[in-house]
Amino acid sequence: MTRSVMAELLVLRKRTSTWILLGIWTTLALVFAYVVPYVTYLNNPAEQPLADVLPRHLVGELMGGFPFFGGVLALMLGVLTFGSEYGWGTLRTLFIQRPGRLQVFAAKLLALAVALIPFVLFVFAVGALASSAIALREGVDIALPSAALLVRGLAAGWLILAVWTALGVMLAVFSRGTALAVGIGILYALVIEGLLSALASQVSAVDRIVEFFLRANAYSLVTTLGVAADDVANNGPGSFSGPFVGGGQALLVLAAYAAVFLLVSGWLLRRRDVA
Amino acid sequence: MNDGLVIETHDLSKRYGERILAVDGLALRVRRGEVYGFLGPNGAGKTTTLRMLLGLVHPTSGTALVLGARPGSPQSLGRVGALIETPAFYPFLSGRDNLRVLARYAGAPETRIEPILEEVGLAARGSDRFGTYSLGMKQRLGIAAALLKEPELLILDEPTNGMDPAGMAEMRTFIRDLGRGRRTVLLSSHLMAEVEQIADRVGVISGGKLVGEGTVEELRGRESLWIRAEPLEEAERVVANLQAVEQVSRVDGGLRIAADPAAAAGINRSLVEAGIDVGELRHERASLEKVFLELTQQQKEAA
Repeated sequence: MTRSVMAELLVLRKRTSTWILLGIWTTLALVFAYVVPYVTYLNNPAEQPLADVLPRHLVGELMGGFPFFGGVLALMLGVLTFGSEYGWGTLRTLFIQRPGRLQVFAAKLLALAVALIPFVLFVFAVGALASSAIALREGVDIALPSAALLVRGLAAGWLILAVWTALGVMLAVFSRGTALAVGIGILYALVIEGLLSALASQVSAVDRIVEFFLRANAYSLVTTLGVAADDVANNGPGSFSGPFVGGGQALLVLAAYAAVFLLVSGWLLRRRDVA
Repeated sequence: MNDGLVIETHDLSKRYGERILAVDGLALRVRRGEVYGFLGPNGAGKTTTLRMLLGLVHPTSGTALVLGARPGSPQSLGRVGALIETPAFYPFLSGRDNLRVLARYAGAPETRIEPILEEVGLAARGSDRFGTYSLGMKQRLGIAAALLKEPELLILDEPTNGMDPAGMAEMRTFIRDLGRGRRTVLLSSHLMAEVEQIADRVGVISGGKLVGEGTVEELRGRESLWIRAEPLEEAERVVANLQAVEQVSRVDGGLRIAADPAAAAGINRSLVEAGIDVGELRHERASLEKVFLELTQQQKEAA
């Protein structure tokens, strides 16, 4: 199994799209978590407190990007990792090697799980550098968040990206390709969840449904790590104004989503013919 | 499973939807150490059969054993190398890295990669991206991938696709060499000459059914004689009365004579002595192509 995972890591490492997604994600996180707020602070200190962009607030400042654009980019990673295999025909090449289909599936998932670690670490490292640079420029002491909060932030970030990646995997396996899977994924992330979330405040029945949405639970999880609900509500196209659920429920629902997405994917991969 | 059989299928069928019966009750038996040519026209069910043998496609009914194990199981796949249709590799990886990925999956030592690249003539281009390869080079890499596991059974589907004549000849020699010893090769093709030159035994599939099987010699049948003579009716009467002749029939403006080819001189002498002019006398044998066309045509008519 280890060698199978190493094989998949080689593929992911040498694939340009992996690095492009990592680059876009890091850049977006840097721009929306630090550049825009700091420029706003410089122009209007009353509107944007400096404390938000200092190292102590690193976790709270970065986590807001995970449930939305981080998630969409992770979805693309999942889609590309599985969907491209159909387009290139490489799935059948892998399936006729020694391990069975489920081991190939597991190797790909484990490689994705490993690949998501730098997706979280890079963003935190860049955030730490950016916030430290701002602190130095403003002549403020550099004080990092507690190790416990940092670890919780890293773990929550990884989980949120992992759930979106799993959704991408399922959509790619279901549609046996990339284009439709990315389309459906973005439609779901932007339109379906967004519209129903907007309706939630007006219709109580919808409110109950939205509580079990991917984004609602991801946002709920990050609000337990210092992300202000007001910031989430003003998060551009990914804005979310509730309902929020408790951290424990959010964790459970996200884990359940990941499990369901992967079970469905595994079942489809095992059952279907490979052309 | 019979010890001598590497592939054994019973009543193997694959149906797609209500209308398409791609493989229909196939009984295939490939013996250890032979090069088995799997012939059939396009759409006959060759590739679907091979996919079922590799576990890529689930049969609708029937059973199959590959090296004594269920197709697609690690016990079977670990001993089978295969090239199915167009070779499929990661276009952004080099040929060498593609083999590295497969070696890791197959549990094969990566030290095998260089000798295999050398063997298929890709050592110089091993570091280039697969996406830049010509079709012939892609086929070679496909063969290299199939050989990584040092398989007991090689399943090759149209391995000379896209190759120039020199490449095809080289590949034929290569496959023949691979088939020496205890390694078994199942070679699917629609190129008669290719199969005729390489295969020990041949199976002809048409409409999803096995319509003929045997050695090339068996399929082509016995050698016969063909003569052009004047007057033909008199010649037919003389020949039919000869003891060495088993059967005579009119074909293509002449007579086809089922007889020991060694009797040709005697038949000629008898005709000349009877005052018949013999314009042409030749040995005749059905080509594999002709047999193939007859078998597939008979199946179409039966369907």
